[in-house]
Amino acid sequence: MRRYRFLAMGMGAAWLCLPVSSYAQFAAAGSGGPPGASIPGPGRADEPAEQAPADPGYFAGPSPYAPQAPGVNAANLPDIGSVAADSLPAMLPQAGADPAPGDWATYGRDDAQTRYSPLAQITPENVSHLQVAFTYHTGSYPRPGQTNKWAAETTPIKVGDGLYMCSAQNDIMKLDPATGKEIWRRNLGEKYEAIPYTAACKGVTYFTSSQVPQGQPCHNRILEGTLDMRLVAVDAATGEFCPGFGHDGQVNLMQGMGESVPGFVAMTVPPTVVNGVVVVNHQVLDGQRRWAPSGVVRGYDAESGRFVWAWDVKRPDDHDQPTGNRHYSRGTPNSWAAMTGDDALGLVYVPTGNSAGDYFSGYRSAAENAVSTSIVALDVKTGSPRWVFQTVHKDVWDYDMGSQVTMMDMPGTDGQTVPAIIVPTKRGQTFVLDRRTGQSILPVEERPAPAGNVAGDTRAPTQPWSVGMPSLHMPDLREQDMWGVSPIDQLYCRIKFRRAHYVGEFTPPSLDRPWIMYPGNNGGSDWGSMAYDPQTGILIANWNASPMYAQLITRNKADALNLMPIDDPHYHPGAGAAEGNGPMEGTPYAITIAPFWDPFTRMLCHKPPYGMITAIDMKHDQKVLWQHPLGTARANGPWGLPTGLPWEIGTPNNGGAVVTAGGLVFIGAATDNLIRAIDERTGKVLWSHVLPGGGQANPMTYEVNGRQYVAIMAGGHHFMMTPVTDELVVFALPQAAR
Amino acid sequence: MLREYGGKPLVEWLVWLLGAVIFLVGLVFVAGGAELALLGGSLYYLLCGPVLLASGLCMLMGRLQGALLYLAALAYTWVWSVWEVGFSPIDLLPRAFGPTLLGLPVLFSIPVLRRMAARRAIGGTC
Repeated sequence: MRRYRFLAMGMGAAWLCLPVSSYAQFAAAGSGGPPGASIPGPGRADEPAEQAPADPGYFAGPSPYAPQAPGVNAANLPDIGSVAADSLPAMLPQAGADPAPGDWATYGRDDAQTRYSPLAQITPENVSHLQVAFTYHTGSYPRPGQTNKWAAETTPIKVGDGLYMCSAQNDIMKLDPATGKEIWRRNLGEKYEAIPYTAACKGVTYFTSSQVPQGQPCHNRILEGTLDMRLVAVDAATGEFCPGFGHDGQVNLMQGMGESVPGFVAMTVPPTVVNGVVVVNHQVLDGQRRWAPSGVVRGYDAESGRFVWAWDVKRPDDHDQPTGNRHYSRGTPNSWAAMTGDDALGLVYVPTGNSAGDYFSGYRSAAENAVSTSIVALDVKTGSPRWVFQTVHKDVWDYDMGSQVTMMDMPGTDGQTVPAIIVPTKRGQTFVLDRRTGQSILPVEERPAPAGNVAGDTRAPTQPWSVGMPSLHMPDLREQDMWGVSPIDQLYCRIKFRRAHYVGEFTPPSLDRPWIMYPGNNGGSDWGSMAYDPQTGILIANWNASPMYAQLITRNKADALNLMPIDDPHYHPGAGAAEGNGPMEGTPYAITIAPFWDPFTRMLCHKPPYGMITAIDMKHDQKVLWQHPLGTARANGPWGLPTGLPWEIGTPNNGGAVVTAGGLVFIGAATDNLIRAIDERTGKVLWSHVLPGGGQANPMTYEVNGRQYVAIMAGGHHFMMTPVTDELVVFALPQAAR
Repeated sequence: MLREYGGKPLVEWLVWLLGAVIFLVGLVFVAGGAELALLGGSLYYLLCGPVLLASGLCMLMGRLQGALLYLAALAYTWVWSVWEVGFSPIDLLPRAFGPTLLGLPVLFSIPVLRRMAARRAIGGTC
């Protein structure tokens, strides 16, 4: 995940201010050279053997088989034992199965992850009276001397008398939902070094135990996965660690992961509980090395914290924990997005990303290629995939799946409904699948895609397109779409455009010239996911149109740029090896990548809008009901200067929407630091409020004592350059307006 | 009467500055436009650049033709912009807005340049 903003309005006299030297920002074209001896051959697609000879050079990283250093197991926890799936007790009905109308019981409110609330006190008529009811500070923000890597992205949950949330560094707290008063707080003592690309905690999970009787500690629990790879269970009433879970309430998720360093792997999403199994996934830092730590997905007993199964792509028949010196297969596709649990089918829908070494696929195995950038439906009894639906074949564009899927009942042709999931993608192609089989309900076309540009790395001949759903994607770029505040920066961008390879969405990576990725890894739908109103059948989707500009570079050039993986002893964060330029150690090439922008004005090279919001009628042939740019120019402009303009130009946006029975859509997301209420039927913006920081988080809504509240974490986002805060802002109507 | 610096009225210095800016923009247009043309892109910049260079030079020399050439380049810019993107404001912004804005001081420079030409005609200094 990486995202940015920059943008917006050309204000006049700018033309006079542009120094001629902006032209000099071009680097020489045609860098790089023939790959030479490093062209991958047969056999290189396998993980190195345990005794692989170590390359002794200055730039050589540790062997992927080096033992795990102390401290990677952050809480120094003993190993956890295993338990057979058959012996797990039956799960009680959970809060998310049928939430009380005033609750928001899971990350997406309910088990279906609809982001729909039946509350209707706030309506289009009275929404303009919304006021701040209270705010709460989590206490996690960059301290002096720390790099700003913050983007809390937190969505609280509300169950019964508590509003439960986490700070960006995983401290857990229970608030009084009516006043914001802190009832308890569980500090986890997470270290700054554990922060990966972003300090984020999207939320926590509420779990009710069938083994601990009601009224006793840890009957109701809050589960959380942490940046430093712990699975934590605390009592919902007191915040005390659950003694019966793992080792005094904690499980070490680095067990079996082999060599790593803090910040290489991290969990930022709430764990998903399905039929008593708590499923965890984790992100692996992009672009570091081919043999990065494993992207394994694991299931643990939600009662005892004991290990149940692992889904390790390269060990399809071995679902046990590795023992001795063994570890989960390295370099496999990781899953960093929130998963969706389906108790009825016994499945968890896992959105997967890419194999490590994202922009070179020559060393990937067939097993990896079969499941990357897909939705994988894992059987929670066994950890084996029941079906896989792939959204990009052999992905080298970092179209990893960022969105949580939403379960819904899709109207069928014969008047029956089909149990379905909505699968948003960074491509802006939205797939609707039968969740029993993984078959697409709407037509999907396999269309020809361009051949590869790099020796030894062939591309898939076709890619899937969801032609039955509206495309959340702008047309392909043309030279005349280049933009700027003046003819000079437009000229710069036209040249930059013409210098790159670009033949549409699946332009393959190249070494001789840069290439353009559009929609790119910040495009389409991201972790904000989609909101679905099952009453009206309206699907709300916010999305991005922000291309990336990238080029493969040779190993020699990467060394010259000092690009080193995070686990290298000589790694220096300033060299920019996290999520931007990446060494892709263990492949022939490294990657340089940046937004397709004018680095002088810090504006994207193409014309706005860069962010959109769309309402789709799922009950009537997936028609677009309304669609308009999302985000104003008020806090954006050339050179990062705010223009103050209320013009809705459409900014990059991150974070999703809430839709309510009151007929309103609440969304922050855009880089204008506003939360707004939009009329679900017309798309008209009815109300907005300036937040203290960027609204890059999914809002939520709940009711307590007959009053409806709307909450959003105004945590901001370091990459989107919005103000970072630790402040949760909660709105409600004053007495008179209700 | 306007103050004078180095024997030149302030407005004439401003016209000189305007000419310098237009000349520099012309240089960027010629250099960048040549590369863009070689890459198969729009010819507008390569065609407009020399006109701007000539305009800037003339203005630096205090010639009325400098202003007229700029206005010609501006007219060409508008015709090309509308041809390429129509009347869409968001698309016209990077193409025509800045040049039009710069056209205002160019208009104001015309009387000054006229006066300078008149002075030259009666044998004054330049």
